[in-house]
Amino acid sequence: MNGMAKIDLDGLTKDYGGVIANDQLSFRVESGEIFGYLGPNGAGKSTTIRMLLGLLKPTGGTARVLGADIRDEKSLIEAKKRIGYLPAHLGFDDGVTGERVLEYHAGMKGDSRLHELLEIFTPPIERPVREYSTGNRRMLGLIQAFMHDPELVIMDEPTSGLDPLKQEEFNEFIRAERDRGTTIFFSSHVLSEVRRVCDRVGIIRQGRLVELEAVETLLTRSGKRVRIHAADEVIPQLSALDGVVDESTFPGGVQFIYTGEINRLLRELARYDVHDIDIKEPPLEDVFIHYYGERTEEKSNQWNPNNE
Amino acid sequence: MSETARYEVERRIRGSIVLTAAISLYSAFIVWYFTVLEGVNTEEVFEELPPAMVDAFGIESLSTIEGFLGAQIFNFVWLLGLGLYFAYMGGGIIASEIESERIDVLLSFPISRSQLFLEKFASILFPILVVNTVGGVAIYGLVLAVDESIDLTHLLLAHVLSIPYLLVCAGIGGVFSVAVNRTSVAEKGAVGVVFVLYLIESIVGGADEYDWIQYLSPTQYYEPTPVLIDGTFEFIDSAILLVTLLGLLLLGQIIFSRRDL
Repeated sequence: MNGMAKIDLDGLTKDYGGVIANDQLSFRVESGEIFGYLGPNGAGKSTTIRMLLGLLKPTGGTARVLGADIRDEKSLIEAKKRIGYLPAHLGFDDGVTGERVLEYHAGMKGDSRLHELLEIFTPPIERPVREYSTGNRRMLGLIQAFMHDPELVIMDEPTSGLDPLKQEEFNEFIRAERDRGTTIFFSSHVLSEVRRVCDRVGIIRQGRLVELEAVETLLTRSGKRVRIHAADEVIPQLSALDGVVDESTFPGGVQFIYTGEINRLLRELARYDVHDIDIKEPPLEDVFIHYYGERTEEKSNQWNPNNE
Repeated sequence: MSETARYEVERRIRGSIVLTAAISLYSAFIVWYFTVLEGVNTEEVFEELPPAMVDAFGIESLSTIEGFLGAQIFNFVWLLGLGLYFAYMGGGIIASEIESERIDVLLSFPISRSQLFLEKFASILFPILVVNTVGGVAIYGLVLAVDESIDLTHLLLAHVLSIPYLLVCAGIGGVFSVAVNRTSVAEKGAVGVVFVLYLIESIVGGADEYDWIQYLSPTQYYEPTPVLIDGTFEFIDSAILLVTLLGLLLLGQIIFSRRDL
Protein backbone atom coordinates (compact mmCIF):
# COMPACT_ATOMS: atom_id res chain seq x y z
CA MET A 1 0.00 0.00 0.00
CA ASN A 2 2.92 2.33 0.49
CA GLY A 3 3.08 5.23 -1.89
CA MET A 4 -0.54 4.75 -2.79
CA ALA A 5 -3.23 7.17 -1.65
CA LYS A 6 -5.42 5.65 1.07
CA ILE A 7 -8.42 7.56 -0.20
CA ASP A 8 -8.63 8.82 -3.74
CA LEU A 9 -11.72 10.73 -4.86
CA ASP A 10 -12.18 11.11 -8.57
CA GLY A 11 -15.02 13.43 -9.52
CA LEU A 12 -17.19 11.96 -6.77
CA THR A 13 -20.72 13.29 -7.15
CA LYS A 14 -24.00 12.74 -5.35
CA ASP A 15 -26.96 14.38 -6.98
CA TYR A 16 -30.25 14.04 -5.12
CA GLY A 17 -32.13 15.45 -8.07
CA GLY A 18 -32.09 19.18 -7.53
CA VAL A 19 -29.73 19.14 -4.58
CA ILE A 20 -26.14 18.29 -5.36
CA ALA A 21 -24.78 17.10 -2.04
CA ASN A 22 -21.31 16.40 -3.46
CA ASP A 23 -20.22 18.05 -6.67
CA GLN A 24 -17.30 16.44 -8.51
CA LEU A 25 -15.02 16.08 -5.54
CA SER A 26 -11.45 15.11 -6.35
CA PHE A 27 -8.70 14.84 -3.77
CA ARG A 28 -6.39 12.31 -2.18
CA VAL A 29 -5.62 11.35 1.36
CA GLU A 30 -2.04 10.15 1.55
CA SER A 31 -0.67 7.34 3.63
CA GLY A 32 0.17 8.27 7.21
CA GLU A 33 -1.43 11.69 7.37
CA ILE A 34 -4.21 13.21 9.40
CA PHE A 35 -6.56 14.75 6.88
CA GLY A 36 -9.20 17.17 8.09
CA TYR A 37 -12.39 17.42 6.09
CA LEU A 38 -13.69 20.80 7.04
CA GLY A 39 -17.00 22.41 6.24
CA PRO A 40 -20.03 24.03 7.83
CA ASN A 41 -22.98 21.88 8.86
CA GLY A 42 -24.86 20.69 5.81
CA ALA A 43 -21.89 21.17 3.45
CA GLY A 44 -21.93 17.52 2.38
CA LYS A 45 -19.23 16.02 4.62
CA SER A 46 -21.30 13.10 5.84
CA THR A 47 -22.46 12.40 2.30
CA THR A 48 -18.85 11.96 1.20
CA ILE A 49 -18.04 9.73 4.15
CA ARG A 50 -21.13 7.62 3.64
CA MET A 51 -20.26 7.19 -0.04
CA LEU A 52 -16.71 6.15 0.87
CA LEU A 53 -18.16 3.41 3.07
CA GLY A 54 -20.63 2.21 0.46
CA LEU A 55 -23.76 3.34 2.30
CA LEU A 56 -24.66 5.74 -0.50
CA LYS A 57 -24.05 5.15 -4.17
CA PRO A 58 -22.41 7.94 -6.15
CA THR A 59 -24.36 9.38 -9.06
CA GLY A 60 -21.15 10.36 -10.81
CA GLY A 61 -17.42 9.79 -10.50
CA THR A 62 -16.01 7.35 -7.99
CA ALA A 63 -13.49 6.94 -5.24
CA ARG A 64 -10.99 4.36 -4.11
CA VAL A 65 -10.56 3.46 -0.49
CA LEU A 66 -7.46 1.39 0.27
CA GLY A 67 -7.40 0.64 -3.43
CA ALA A 68 -11.00 -0.62 -3.59
CA ASP A 69 -13.47 1.03 -5.91
CA ILE A 70 -16.44 2.06 -3.77
CA ARG A 71 -18.86 0.94 -6.47
CA ASP A 72 -17.57 -2.61 -6.19
CA GLU A 73 -19.17 -4.10 -3.06
CA LYS A 74 -16.92 -7.14 -2.99
CA SER A 75 -13.62 -5.32 -3.05
CA LEU A 76 -14.91 -2.65 -0.66
CA ILE A 77 -15.83 -5.41 1.81
CA GLU A 78 -12.26 -6.71 1.60
CA ALA A 79 -10.96 -3.19 2.26
CA LYS A 80 -13.30 -2.73 5.22
CA LYS A 81 -11.31 -5.28 7.18
CA ARG A 82 -8.60 -2.63 7.32
CA ILE A 83 -10.84 0.39 7.90
CA GLY A 84 -12.08 1.77 11.20
CA TYR A 85 -15.15 3.98 11.23
CA LEU A 86 -16.57 6.31 13.83
CA PRO A 87 -19.95 7.63 12.66
CA ALA A 88 -21.34 11.02 13.68
CA HIS A 89 -24.24 9.39 15.43
CA LEU A 90 -23.14 6.47 17.53
CA GLY A 91 -25.74 3.78 17.17
CA PHE A 92 -25.29 1.00 19.67
CA ASP A 93 -27.94 -1.36 20.92
CA ASP A 94 -29.04 0.15 24.20
CA GLY A 95 -30.00 -3.11 25.78
CA VAL A 96 -26.64 -4.86 25.62
CA THR A 97 -23.47 -4.19 27.60
CA GLY A 98 -20.48 -2.38 26.16
CA GLU A 99 -18.60 -5.64 26.51
CA ARG A 100 -21.10 -7.48 24.30
CA VAL A 101 -20.93 -4.69 21.71
CA LEU A 102 -17.15 -5.01 21.60
CA GLU A 103 -17.36 -8.79 21.48
CA TYR A 104 -19.62 -8.54 18.44
CA HIS A 105 -17.25 -6.07 16.79
CA ALA A 106 -14.32 -8.36 17.61
CA GLY A 107 -16.07 -11.25 15.92
CA MET A 108 -16.71 -9.18 12.83
CA LYS A 109 -13.34 -7.52 12.34
CA GLY A 110 -10.82 -8.54 14.98
CA ASP A 111 -9.59 -7.15 18.29
CA SER A 112 -5.80 -7.20 18.24
CA ARG A 113 -5.59 -3.85 20.03
CA LEU A 114 -8.61 -4.10 22.29
CA HIS A 115 -6.77 -4.55 25.59
CA GLU A 116 -4.40 -1.73 24.88
CA LEU A 117 -7.29 0.59 24.00
CA LEU A 118 -9.24 -0.35 27.11
CA GLU A 119 -6.32 1.02 29.12
CA ILE A 120 -6.59 4.41 27.41
CA PHE A 121 -10.37 4.62 27.18
CA THR A 122 -12.39 3.42 30.11
CA PRO A 123 -16.11 3.22 29.45
CA PRO A 124 -17.94 1.00 31.97
CA ILE A 125 -18.07 -1.97 29.61
CA GLU A 126 -19.87 -4.24 32.06
CA ARG A 127 -22.90 -1.92 32.04
CA PRO A 128 -25.65 -1.68 29.41
CA VAL A 129 -25.04 0.99 26.79
CA ARG A 130 -28.36 2.55 27.78
CA GLU A 131 -26.69 3.92 30.92
CA TYR A 132 -23.75 5.51 29.09
CA SER A 133 -23.06 9.23 29.11
CA THR A 134 -22.19 10.95 25.84
CA GLY A 135 -18.50 10.76 26.74
CA ASN A 136 -18.71 7.03 27.45
CA ARG A 137 -20.46 6.43 24.15
CA ARG A 138 -17.69 8.36 22.39
CA MET A 139 -15.05 6.24 24.10
CA LEU A 140 -16.83 3.05 23.12
CA GLY A 141 -17.00 4.41 19.57
CA LEU A 142 -13.28 5.16 19.50
CA ILE A 143 -12.42 1.72 20.84
CA GLN A 144 -14.45 -0.03 18.16
CA ALA A 145 -12.95 2.19 15.44
CA PHE A 146 -9.36 1.29 16.37
CA MET A 147 -9.65 -2.17 17.96
CA HIS A 148 -8.79 -4.16 14.84
CA ASP A 149 -5.67 -2.10 14.13
CA PRO A 150 -6.95 -0.59 10.87
CA GLU A 151 -4.76 1.08 8.26
CA LEU A 152 -7.29 3.84 7.76
CA VAL A 153 -9.72 5.36 10.23
CA ILE A 154 -12.61 7.50 9.03
CA MET A 155 -14.35 9.65 11.61
CA ASP A 156 -17.41 11.84 11.15
CA GLU A 157 -17.37 14.81 13.54
CA PRO A 158 -15.48 12.84 16.20
CA THR A 159 -15.12 15.63 18.71
CA SER A 160 -18.57 17.13 18.65
CA GLY A 161 -19.80 17.21 22.22
CA LEU A 162 -16.37 16.76 23.78
CA ASP A 163 -15.22 19.36 26.28
CA PRO A 164 -11.90 21.11 25.47
CA LEU A 165 -9.90 18.91 27.83
CA LYS A 166 -11.24 15.70 26.32
CA GLN A 167 -10.68 17.18 22.91
CA GLU A 168 -7.02 17.69 23.69
CA GLU A 169 -6.76 14.07 24.87
CA PHE A 170 -8.40 13.01 21.65
CA ASN A 171 -5.90 15.06 19.63
CA GLU A 172 -3.02 13.46 21.52
CA PHE A 173 -4.45 10.06 20.77
CA ILE A 174 -4.85 10.52 17.05
CA ARG A 175 -1.41 12.09 16.72
CA ALA A 176 0.02 8.99 18.38
CA GLU A 177 -2.04 6.83 16.01
CA ARG A 178 -0.67 8.71 13.02
CA ASP A 179 2.85 8.26 14.35
CA ARG A 180 2.38 4.51 14.40
CA GLY A 181 1.36 4.67 10.76
CA THR A 182 -2.44 4.90 10.75
CA THR A 183 -4.00 7.21 8.20
CA ILE A 184 -6.77 9.33 9.64
CA PHE A 185 -9.55 11.10 7.80
CA PHE A 186 -11.97 13.09 9.87
CA SER A 187 -14.65 15.65 9.29
CA SER A 188 -15.29 18.70 11.38
CA HIS A 189 -16.98 22.05 11.26
CA VAL A 190 -14.56 23.60 13.74
CA LEU A 191 -11.52 25.26 12.25
CA SER A 192 -9.49 25.33 15.47
CA GLU A 193 -9.94 21.62 15.83
CA VAL A 194 -8.59 20.64 12.46
CA ARG A 195 -5.77 23.09 12.52
CA ARG A 196 -4.48 21.82 15.83
CA VAL A 197 -4.21 18.27 14.70
CA CYS A 198 -4.40 17.89 10.92
CA ASP A 199 -1.54 17.69 8.49
CA ARG A 200 -3.72 18.69 5.59
CA VAL A 201 -7.20 20.06 5.24
CA GLY A 202 -9.83 19.92 2.53
CA ILE A 203 -12.59 22.45 2.76
CA ILE A 204 -16.04 21.69 1.44
CA ARG A 205 -18.82 24.17 1.09
CA GLN A 206 -22.20 23.54 -0.50
CA GLY A 207 -20.97 20.24 -1.85
CA ARG A 208 -17.89 21.67 -3.53
CA LEU A 209 -14.27 21.45 -2.62
CA VAL A 210 -13.20 25.05 -2.17
CA GLU A 211 -9.69 24.59 -0.80
CA LEU A 212 -7.12 21.94 -0.32
CA GLU A 213 -4.48 23.27 1.97
CA ALA A 214 -1.66 22.45 4.25
CA VAL A 215 -2.54 23.49 7.78
CA GLU A 216 0.08 26.22 7.96
CA THR A 217 -1.35 27.98 4.94
CA LEU A 218 -4.82 27.75 6.32
CA LEU A 219 -3.64 29.06 9.64
CA THR A 220 -2.24 32.21 8.19
CA ARG A 221 -5.21 32.72 5.97
CA SER A 222 -8.02 32.24 8.38
CA GLY A 223 -7.25 35.23 10.57
CA LYS A 224 -8.39 36.08 14.05
CA ARG A 225 -11.44 37.79 15.29
CA VAL A 226 -10.23 40.72 17.39
CA ARG A 227 -12.46 42.66 19.71
CA ILE A 228 -10.94 45.76 21.31
CA HIS A 229 -12.25 48.16 23.89
CA ALA A 230 -10.40 51.42 23.52
CA ALA A 231 -10.79 55.18 23.63
CA ASP A 232 -12.93 56.50 20.75
CA GLU A 233 -10.13 58.43 19.07
CA VAL A 234 -8.00 55.28 18.77
CA ILE A 235 -10.60 53.26 16.88
CA PRO A 236 -10.17 54.75 13.40
CA GLN A 237 -6.41 54.18 13.61
CA LEU A 238 -6.90 50.53 14.61
CA SER A 239 -9.39 50.01 11.80
CA ALA A 240 -6.88 51.38 9.32
CA LEU A 241 -4.27 48.69 10.06
CA ASP A 242 -3.15 46.44 7.23
CA GLY A 243 -4.88 43.08 7.29
CA VAL A 244 -8.03 44.33 8.98
CA VAL A 245 -11.23 43.23 7.30
CA ASP A 246 -14.87 43.33 8.19
CA GLU A 247 -14.51 45.84 10.96
CA SER A 248 -17.52 47.01 12.86
CA THR A 249 -17.62 49.46 15.71
CA PHE A 250 -19.67 49.30 18.85
CA PRO A 251 -19.89 51.81 21.71
CA GLY A 252 -16.41 51.99 23.20
CA GLY A 253 -14.73 49.62 20.82
CA VAL A 254 -14.22 47.90 17.50
CA GLN A 255 -14.33 44.35 16.22
CA PHE A 256 -12.59 43.02 13.10
CA ILE A 257 -10.99 40.05 11.46
CA TYR A 258 -7.22 40.41 11.42
CA THR A 259 -5.48 38.44 8.71
CA GLY A 260 -1.97 39.87 9.06
CA GLU A 261 0.95 38.77 11.15
CA ILE A 262 0.01 38.58 14.81
CA ASN A 263 3.18 40.19 16.24
CA ARG A 264 2.61 43.23 14.14
CA LEU A 265 -0.87 43.59 15.52
CA LEU A 266 0.48 43.35 19.05
CA ARG A 267 3.17 45.98 18.38
CA GLU A 268 0.59 48.31 16.91
CA LEU A 269 -1.77 47.78 19.81
CA ALA A 270 0.99 48.56 22.29
CA ARG A 271 1.15 52.08 20.96
CA TYR A 272 -2.43 52.84 21.93
CA ASP A 273 -4.41 52.93 25.11
CA VAL A 274 -6.35 49.69 24.97
CA HIS A 275 -8.80 48.88 27.81
CA ASP A 276 -9.57 45.31 26.95
CA ILE A 277 -8.92 42.88 24.18
CA ASP A 278 -10.33 39.55 23.10
CA ILE A 279 -8.73 37.56 20.29
CA LYS A 280 -10.32 34.39 19.07
CA GLU A 281 -11.02 32.29 16.09
CA PRO A 282 -13.70 33.46 13.68
CA PRO A 283 -16.64 31.10 13.02
CA LEU A 284 -16.03 28.94 9.99
CA GLU A 285 -18.90 30.38 8.01
CA ASP A 286 -17.47 33.89 8.54
CA VAL A 287 -14.11 32.74 7.25
CA PHE A 288 -15.79 31.36 4.16
CA ILE A 289 -17.72 34.51 3.52
CA HIS A 290 -14.53 36.51 3.68
CA TYR A 291 -12.43 34.31 1.52
CA TYR A 292 -14.83 32.90 -0.96
CA GLY A 293 -17.53 35.52 -1.00
CA GLU A 294 -21.13 35.28 0.03
CA ARG A 295 -21.90 32.75 -2.65
CA THR A 296 -19.62 30.01 -3.82
CA GLU A 297 -20.98 29.41 -7.27
CA GLU A 298 -17.50 29.21 -8.63
CA LYS A 299 -14.60 27.27 -7.34
CA SER A 300 -12.31 29.96 -6.07
CA ASN A 301 -8.74 29.01 -5.54
CA GLN A 302 -7.56 32.56 -5.49
CA TRP A 303 -7.49 34.04 -2.08
CA ASN A 304 -8.49 37.64 -1.98
CA PRO A 305 -9.52 39.26 1.26
CA ASN A 306 -11.05 42.18 -0.55
CA ASN A 307 -13.28 40.30 -2.88
CA GLU A 308 -16.49 41.16 -1.11
CA MET B 1 -23.59 -19.80 13.24
CA SER B 2 -22.00 -16.57 12.24
CA GLU B 3 -21.44 -13.54 14.46
CA THR B 4 -24.39 -11.41 13.38
CA ALA B 5 -26.93 -14.24 13.60
CA ARG B 6 -25.55 -15.24 17.00
CA TYR B 7 -25.69 -11.68 18.28
CA GLU B 8 -29.25 -11.24 17.04
CA VAL B 9 -30.37 -14.58 18.51
CA GLU B 10 -29.01 -13.55 21.92
CA ARG B 11 -31.09 -10.42 21.75
CA ARG B 12 -34.18 -12.48 20.99
CA ILE B 13 -33.84 -14.88 23.91
CA ARG B 14 -35.83 -12.87 26.42
CA GLY B 15 -38.66 -12.12 23.99
CA SER B 16 -38.85 -15.77 22.98
CA ILE B 17 -39.17 -16.89 26.60
CA VAL B 18 -41.95 -14.39 27.28
CA LEU B 19 -43.78 -15.33 24.09
CA THR B 20 -43.54 -19.04 24.80
CA ALA B 21 -44.66 -18.62 28.39
CA ALA B 22 -47.67 -16.57 27.31
CA ILE B 23 -48.70 -19.12 24.70
CA SER B 24 -48.25 -22.01 27.11
CA LEU B 25 -50.48 -20.27 29.65
CA TYR B 26 -53.10 -19.63 27.01
CA SER B 27 -52.90 -23.27 25.96
CA ALA B 28 -53.36 -24.36 29.57
CA PHE B 29 -56.49 -22.22 29.74
CA ILE B 30 -57.85 -23.71 26.50
CA VAL B 31 -57.17 -27.30 27.55
CA TRP B 32 -58.83 -26.67 30.92
CA TYR B 33 -61.77 -25.03 29.18
CA PHE B 34 -62.16 -28.12 26.99
CA THR B 35 -62.72 -30.21 30.12
CA VAL B 36 -65.34 -27.74 31.32
CA LEU B 37 -67.19 -27.92 28.00
CA GLU B 38 -67.34 -31.71 28.03
CA GLY B 39 -70.95 -32.78 27.99
CA VAL B 40 -72.05 -29.57 26.33
CA ASN B 41 -72.96 -30.14 22.71
CA THR B 42 -70.60 -27.62 21.17
CA GLU B 43 -71.49 -28.61 17.66
CA GLU B 44 -74.94 -27.21 18.27
CA VAL B 45 -73.58 -23.94 19.60
CA PHE B 46 -71.66 -23.33 16.42
CA GLU B 47 -74.43 -24.38 14.08
CA GLU B 48 -75.87 -20.94 14.57
CA LEU B 49 -72.76 -19.26 13.22
CA PRO B 50 -72.60 -18.23 9.54
CA PRO B 51 -70.73 -20.83 7.46
CA ALA B 52 -68.12 -18.24 6.41
CA MET B 53 -67.18 -17.66 10.02
CA VAL B 54 -66.94 -21.37 10.78
CA ASP B 55 -64.68 -21.59 7.77
CA ALA B 56 -62.62 -18.57 8.77
CA PHE B 57 -61.83 -19.96 12.19
CA GLY B 58 -61.32 -23.46 10.93
CA ILE B 59 -63.95 -24.78 13.29
CA GLU B 60 -64.34 -28.43 12.39
CA SER B 61 -65.12 -30.71 15.22
CA LEU B 62 -65.04 -29.00 18.52
CA SER B 63 -66.14 -31.96 20.57
CA THR B 64 -62.79 -33.73 20.15
CA ILE B 65 -59.63 -32.44 21.77
CA GLU B 66 -57.90 -32.31 18.37
CA GLY B 67 -60.65 -30.23 16.80
CA PHE B 68 -60.85 -27.98 19.83
CA LEU B 69 -57.10 -27.34 19.94
CA GLY B 70 -57.04 -26.86 16.19
CA ALA B 71 -59.62 -24.11 16.36
CA GLN B 72 -58.71 -22.43 19.63
CA ILE B 73 -54.94 -22.70 19.63
CA PHE B 74 -53.66 -23.44 16.17
CA ASN B 75 -56.02 -21.35 14.07
CA PHE B 76 -56.10 -18.50 16.54
CA VAL B 77 -52.58 -18.45 17.88
CA TRP B 78 -50.37 -20.14 15.32
CA LEU B 79 -52.05 -19.13 12.10
CA LEU B 80 -53.24 -15.65 13.01
CA GLY B 81 -51.44 -14.53 16.17
CA LEU B 82 -47.97 -15.85 15.45
CA GLY B 83 -48.31 -15.09 11.74
CA LEU B 84 -48.87 -11.44 12.57
CA TYR B 85 -46.24 -11.49 15.32
CA PHE B 86 -43.49 -12.77 13.05
CA ALA B 87 -44.52 -10.44 10.22
CA TYR B 88 -44.10 -7.63 12.75
CA MET B 89 -40.74 -8.98 13.87
CA GLY B 90 -39.56 -9.28 10.26
CA GLY B 91 -40.56 -5.67 9.66
CA GLY B 92 -38.09 -4.55 12.31
CA ILE B 93 -34.92 -6.34 11.21
CA ILE B 94 -33.42 -3.68 8.95
CA ALA B 95 -35.78 -0.69 9.29
CA SER B 96 -34.98 -0.38 12.99
CA GLU B 97 -31.25 -0.28 12.20
CA ILE B 98 -31.81 2.42 9.60
CA GLU B 99 -34.05 4.48 11.86
CA SER B 100 -31.60 4.34 14.77
CA GLU B 101 -28.62 4.92 12.42
CA ARG B 102 -26.99 1.74 13.71
CA ILE B 103 -26.83 0.66 10.08
CA ASP B 104 -23.72 2.85 9.61
CA VAL B 105 -21.73 0.76 12.03
CA LEU B 106 -23.17 -2.54 10.81
CA LEU B 107 -22.20 -1.80 7.24
CA SER B 108 -18.72 -0.68 8.23
CA PHE B 109 -18.17 -4.36 9.00
CA PRO B 110 -16.61 -6.47 6.26
CA ILE B 111 -19.93 -8.09 5.43
CA SER B 112 -22.21 -7.74 2.42
CA ARG B 113 -25.66 -6.25 2.70
CA SER B 114 -27.15 -9.55 1.56
CA GLN B 115 -25.40 -11.44 4.31
CA LEU B 116 -26.44 -8.92 6.94
CA PHE B 117 -30.04 -9.21 5.80
CA LEU B 118 -30.02 -13.01 5.72
CA GLU B 119 -28.34 -13.38 9.09
CA LYS B 120 -30.70 -10.97 10.76
CA PHE B 121 -33.60 -12.76 9.14
CA ALA B 122 -32.25 -16.15 10.21
CA SER B 123 -32.32 -15.06 13.84
CA ILE B 124 -36.13 -15.09 13.64
CA LEU B 125 -35.90 -18.84 13.26
CA PHE B 126 -34.89 -19.00 16.92
CA PRO B 127 -38.19 -17.80 18.45
CA ILE B 128 -40.08 -19.82 15.84
CA LEU B 129 -38.29 -22.99 16.94
CA VAL B 130 -38.57 -22.23 20.66
CA VAL B 131 -42.27 -21.47 20.55
CA ASN B 132 -42.95 -24.62 18.53
CA THR B 133 -40.75 -26.93 20.58
CA VAL B 134 -41.57 -25.70 24.07
CA GLY B 135 -45.16 -24.82 23.14
CA GLY B 136 -45.63 -28.25 21.56
CA VAL B 137 -44.28 -30.09 24.60
CA ALA B 138 -46.47 -27.95 26.85
CA ILE B 139 -49.61 -28.68 24.82
CA TYR B 140 -48.88 -32.41 24.80
CA GLY B 141 -48.25 -32.43 28.54
CA LEU B 142 -51.40 -30.44 29.23
CA VAL B 143 -53.53 -32.77 27.15
CA LEU B 144 -52.17 -35.80 29.05
CA ALA B 145 -52.70 -33.99 32.33
CA VAL B 146 -56.44 -33.76 31.75
CA ASP B 147 -56.61 -37.45 30.85
CA GLU B 148 -57.18 -36.82 27.18
CA SER B 149 -54.96 -38.10 24.38
CA ILE B 150 -53.72 -36.69 21.13
CA ASP B 151 -51.73 -38.35 18.36
CA LEU B 152 -48.13 -37.32 18.89
CA THR B 153 -47.25 -37.50 15.19
CA HIS B 154 -50.18 -35.30 14.27
CA LEU B 155 -49.25 -32.73 16.89
CA LEU B 156 -45.64 -32.81 15.76
CA LEU B 157 -46.72 -32.31 12.14
CA ALA B 158 -48.94 -29.37 13.04
CA HIS B 159 -45.90 -27.70 14.59
CA VAL B 160 -43.38 -28.59 11.91
CA LEU B 161 -45.68 -27.47 9.09
CA SER B 162 -46.17 -24.11 10.80
CA ILE B 163 -42.47 -23.28 10.40
CA PRO B 164 -42.50 -22.54 6.63
CA TYR B 165 -45.73 -20.59 7.11
CA LEU B 166 -44.32 -18.44 9.91
CA LEU B 167 -41.12 -17.88 7.93
CA VAL B 168 -43.14 -16.58 4.98
CA CYS B 169 -44.94 -14.14 7.30
CA ALA B 170 -41.55 -13.01 8.62
CA GLY B 171 -40.32 -12.77 5.02
CA ILE B 172 -43.13 -10.38 4.12
CA GLY B 173 -41.94 -8.30 7.07
CA GLY B 174 -38.36 -8.60 5.85
CA VAL B 175 -39.23 -7.09 2.47
CA PHE B 176 -41.00 -4.17 4.16
CA SER B 177 -38.01 -3.79 6.43
CA VAL B 178 -35.56 -3.06 3.62
CA ALA B 179 -37.99 -0.98 1.60
CA VAL B 180 -38.81 1.72 4.16
CA ASN B 181 -36.82 3.79 6.63
CA ARG B 182 -39.21 3.79 9.54
CA THR B 183 -39.59 0.81 11.81
CA SER B 184 -43.24 1.46 12.62
CA VAL B 185 -44.13 1.74 8.94
CA ALA B 186 -42.39 -1.55 8.11
CA GLU B 187 -43.94 -3.38 11.05
CA LYS B 188 -47.45 -2.09 10.49
CA GLY B 189 -47.20 -2.64 6.74
CA ALA B 190 -46.17 -6.26 7.19
CA VAL B 191 -48.84 -6.95 9.80
CA GLY B 192 -51.42 -5.26 7.59
CA VAL B 193 -50.54 -7.32 4.54
CA VAL B 194 -50.61 -10.64 6.39
CA PHE B 195 -53.89 -9.76 8.09
CA VAL B 196 -55.57 -8.60 4.89
CA LEU B 197 -54.44 -11.75 3.09
CA TYR B 198 -55.85 -13.82 5.94
CA LEU B 199 -59.20 -12.03 5.73
CA ILE B 200 -59.33 -12.30 1.96
CA GLU B 201 -58.65 -16.01 2.12
CA SER B 202 -61.43 -16.47 4.68
CA ILE B 203 -63.95 -14.42 2.74
CA VAL B 204 -63.44 -15.56 -0.83
CA GLY B 205 -63.27 -19.21 0.24
CA GLY B 206 -66.94 -19.53 -0.53
CA ALA B 207 -67.18 -17.49 -3.75
CA ASP B 208 -66.33 -19.63 -6.77
CA GLU B 209 -65.70 -16.81 -9.20
CA TYR B 210 -62.94 -15.23 -7.17
CA ASP B 211 -61.66 -18.25 -5.35
CA TRP B 212 -58.25 -17.92 -7.02
CA ILE B 213 -57.57 -14.91 -4.80
CA GLN B 214 -57.34 -17.15 -1.75
CA TYR B 215 -54.22 -18.74 -3.20
CA LEU B 216 -52.37 -15.46 -2.69
CA SER B 217 -52.54 -15.81 1.05
CA PRO B 218 -49.93 -17.81 2.95
CA THR B 219 -52.66 -18.89 5.33
CA GLN B 220 -54.05 -20.98 2.47
CA TYR B 221 -51.04 -23.28 2.72
CA TYR B 222 -51.11 -24.12 6.40
CA GLU B 223 -54.21 -25.82 7.73
CA PRO B 224 -53.51 -27.16 11.21
CA THR B 225 -56.91 -28.55 12.14
CA PRO B 226 -57.05 -31.42 9.60
CA VAL B 227 -53.44 -32.22 10.45
CA LEU B 228 -54.34 -32.57 14.12
CA ILE B 229 -57.48 -34.57 13.50
CA ASP B 230 -56.24 -37.16 11.02
CA GLY B 231 -52.79 -36.11 9.91
CA THR B 232 -53.81 -35.02 6.40
CA PHE B 233 -51.76 -32.37 4.69
CA GLU B 234 -50.36 -31.62 1.24
CA PHE B 235 -46.64 -31.62 0.64
CA ILE B 236 -47.16 -29.16 -2.17
CA ASP B 237 -48.48 -26.57 0.31
CA SER B 238 -45.23 -26.56 2.27
CA ALA B 239 -43.24 -26.54 -0.98
CA ILE B 240 -45.17 -23.46 -2.15
CA LEU B 241 -44.44 -21.73 1.16
CA LEU B 242 -40.73 -22.51 0.93
CA VAL B 243 -40.49 -21.27 -2.65
CA THR B 244 -42.35 -18.11 -1.64
CA LEU B 245 -39.90 -17.67 1.24
CA LEU B 246 -36.95 -17.91 -1.14
CA GLY B 247 -38.60 -15.38 -3.44
CA LEU B 248 -39.20 -12.95 -0.58
CA LEU B 249 -35.64 -13.30 0.68
CA LEU B 250 -34.26 -12.72 -2.80
CA LEU B 251 -36.47 -9.68 -3.27
CA GLY B 252 -35.40 -8.34 0.12
CA GLN B 253 -31.72 -8.75 -0.76
CA ILE B 254 -32.15 -7.03 -4.12
CA ILE B 255 -33.98 -4.05 -2.65
CA PHE B 256 -31.50 -3.76 0.22
CA SER B 257 -28.43 -4.00 -2.00
CA ARG B 258 -29.62 -1.38 -4.45
CA ARG B 259 -30.79 1.32 -2.15
CA ASP B 260 -29.07 4.26 -0.50
CA LEU B 261 -28.96 4.25 3.26
